[in-house]
Amino acid sequence: MDFSETADRISRKFQKSGQTIDPKKIEGKLRRLIEEFGVQPSEAERSVTNDLAKEFNIPQMGSGGGGGKSGGATEPKKIADMSPEEWVTLEGKVVALSTPASPAIAQSGIIADDSGGIRFVAWAKSNAPAMTVDSWYHIESAVVDEFKGVASLKIHSGTTVKECVTDGALVPSTVPVVNLHPGVGSVRAKVIQEWDTTHERMLQSGILGDETGTIKFVIWKEAGKEKLVVGSVYNIFYAMVDEYNGKLSLNLNTATIMQDDGDILVSGGNVAVRGALVHIAPGSGIIKRCPVEGCNRALSRQNYCPVHEIQPKFIYDLRIKGWLDDGEKTHNILLQRDVVESLTGITLDAAKEIAENNPLGMDEVFLQMREKVLGRYVTCHGREIDNRLLVNTCERLTFESGEHAALLNRAGGAS
Amino acid sequence: MSTNAREIGRKDGSFEREPARRVFASELRECRYDFKEGTDEKSPTFVLLPTGERCNRVFIVGTLTEKQRQGDQNIFYRGRVVDPTGTFFIMAGSYQPEAMQQLAKIEAPAFVAVIGKPGLYRKDEASTPMVSVRVESINVVDKDTRDLWVLDTAARTLDRIDIFKTSTEPDVIKAKEVYPSIDPAVFRRAAYDALAQIKM
Repeated sequence: MDFSETADRISRKFQKSGQTIDPKKIEGKLRRLIEEFGVQPSEAERSVTNDLAKEFNIPQMGSGGGGGKSGGATEPKKIADMSPEEWVTLEGKVVALSTPASPAIAQSGIIADDSGGIRFVAWAKSNAPAMTVDSWYHIESAVVDEFKGVASLKIHSGTTVKECVTDGALVPSTVPVVNLHPGVGSVRAKVIQEWDTTHERMLQSGILGDETGTIKFVIWKEAGKEKLVVGSVYNIFYAMVDEYNGKLSLNLNTATIMQDDGDILVSGGNVAVRGALVHIAPGSGIIKRCPVEGCNRALSRQNYCPVHEIQPKFIYDLRIKGWLDDGEKTHNILLQRDVVESLTGITLDAAKEIAENNPLGMDEVFLQMREKVLGRYVTCHGREIDNRLLVNTCERLTFESGEHAALLNRAGGAS
Repeated sequence: MSTNAREIGRKDGSFEREPARRVFASELRECRYDFKEGTDEKSPTFVLLPTGERCNRVFIVGTLTEKQRQGDQNIFYRGRVVDPTGTFFIMAGSYQPEAMQQLAKIEAPAFVAVIGKPGLYRKDEASTPMVSVRVESINVVDKDTRDLWVLDTAARTLDRIDIFKTSTEPDVIKAKEVYPSIDPAVFRRAAYDALAQIKM
């Protein structure tokens, strides 16, 4: 394991306070904690930082020091300028409160100033006054920390919270979807797609997009929450941006949402790829889907749905999963029933017939479809989401004599 | 170490499949240089095309002219696929049962599309390596698909030749170093001849 990056980060932090510490020394400490004692890397980083801060007597560095208010920590700081492991003082407006995840937390939500928003947690033990949405507060000596790449402000027993009067209206600025990063974000985006909910606590999930890209969103059931309308544009202020498996998603429960009359030409969406179908993946052909309303999951061969168990009254469907390759890049593609029918010429009814009367059953449909499409040139139009092209139309390529002539000219031209 | 395993799993989520390059037989058979990226056992291996592009996978369409079953215990099939410029040698063994069965089923001659991994094989240390394509998938196609492939492959080959002249990409520089006697103009000529064989 390589610790040099973390060591450099720590060393830089101390450099700001005028201390030069050999990264090798930091690295040694980190290695010892992580390798010998099995400490989580983030925890090790914090503990080494604290340790060194104590050694060099730099109070605002660590989170265990309490009371240390020297070194400019009382100057209000802009939220956008905060970095993890900092002690900060700020003036901001509480723009959202969310249900605390644990009894140890008195309040959690999002606080914002004109530079941006940050998630906050007020510990029950902090005895901080209860804050209300839309009020401004002067918060002194809170700590910024980072969990899974998301910065969050911790209000603890050493923090003072005072309501203050600020007359400046807070107008949050939205960012392009492609520029969102984990934490808190505001966007102006259009609802492109709504998905079947996969959880009973979920109110709605789907895809939002703007000119720069698309992102998954979710709204959990909560009093006062309403579904978004597909095709409408919304200004979404202070949504929580989460990261899972390297992919971002927006949790809109904290967000202030305002419908917008305008329209957006969503990109990241419509793409056309011309290439050869170089692989037809297992799970293509005729499949069985769970009949429970809103589920629609693909069943196993034994008609087992991962959520609703055995479903003998399954619904048949067609799909093709595979790879479309243009020689430079390979696109993961998914074709739905109507596209499969027009590309293969095998209708759902015909496929059912084959599946039920052929000794190979559903495999026979897979083999027949593969024979018809593997190695063929096609143009697929669709939407690219999460590295997968959801295909709306897929046509066989035809030989263009104009293209042929142009290539002959190009190849025959002076080299 | 469990964190490590999880991290590898996560990377699989954003896994990028190596694209299948379009290359005529006359160019692929000139390959003499292969390399591995990374030190992992599963790191991809590439052959370097004389026009300066790395190639882990190919997509070829041509005529299967011959196929042969070989071996007693380890059965494998060899085949020859012909394009307008020359011959590809393909093989499918029991490690690719799916591909082997697909190939076994096809009666030569037939137009076929082959997706596979090119590799260099040497009879012994001293001999010149032979380029052979290990089949991942093979399927019978029509003549239209073959013609489309010739257009596609000609265009890609010309693109590579254009880049080759001016590029300072490491792969291009390496190609100039390992194939000093090959002039890419011969592949332009081959592309022209291939295109000219298609009836207008």
